[in-house]
Amino acid sequence: MEQVGYIRGDASLDAVFAALSDPTRRAILTRLAAGEASVNEIAEPFDMSQPAVSKHLKVLERAGLVMRGADRQRRPARLNAVPMKEAVAWLEEFKSFWSSSFDQLDSLLDELKNTENWEK
Amino acid sequence: MSLPEYILERRFNAPRGLVWKTWTEPELLARWYGPGVETVIHELDVRPGGLWLNEMRFGGGSHYQRVEYTEVIEPEKLVWLHSVSDENWDPASNPMMPDWPRTLLTTVTFTETGGETELRLVWTPHEATDAEIACFAGAIAGLDQGWGKGMEMLAELLVELKA
Repeated sequence: MEQVGYIRGDASLDAVFAALSDPTRRAILTRLAAGEASVNEIAEPFDMSQPAVSKHLKVLERAGLVMRGADRQRRPARLNAVPMKEAVAWLEEFKSFWSSSFDQLDSLLDELKNTENWEK
Repeated sequence: MSLPEYILERRFNAPRGLVWKTWTEPELLARWYGPGVETVIHELDVRPGGLWLNEMRFGGGSHYQRVEYTEVIEPEKLVWLHSVSDENWDPASNPMMPDWPRTLLTTVTFTETGGETELRLVWTPHEATDAEIACFAGAIAGLDQGWGKGMEMLAELLVELKA
């Protein structure tokens, strides 16, 4: 499962910035910002071999910046930066939903302990 | 490869039996679940195969959640499948986040220590597509490592690169 490679623990900002330090990789990201593309389609304007492009894509994938599609023939690459930012924001909301609910549960439990003669 | 997990832990200053009640009795559950919203529990049947159909009203709109319990061990464990649903309680994808897992397996464990209750919630994608798993895993990695900020910087950088 190549696509989830970035949860293996090497997904850090360092990896992101290392991935971005190379001009070819930045150009690949710029290309992908316009829409998903196969290795072939990416290689074309760069006058680069497919293995060279694949290697760059691997670095970007490891940094979590690019995802590869499930289509076995093309395995199109797509930019992952913005969706990932949204996903992080969504999980942040999810977390704060539960934390605030737990604050309410705290007060409810206090109230129940004091007012209710509850037995186990 | 194991599925990504998101874990929340919290300690409550109350015995476990009482905490359990607040998760399994509709009048009590509605009072704490969902901050800043009106929680309406349409059904709460806490047993394997039973449903918790939950509506949250806010600002003139409603948000629906469908929960199906798969394991119930009083007073220590609740396991359920959690989905966002439409008003007919059919699972729906999240229009804002199409790759967010449609169903999250939720495991809640209650452990009592010295009159307090240790609560642990674990979410993991259930029967998810690779894209859903990647989205969830990415969100966890991002939240844990402060990627939110990093991603903002990156988005700006990409705009610059495009220009």
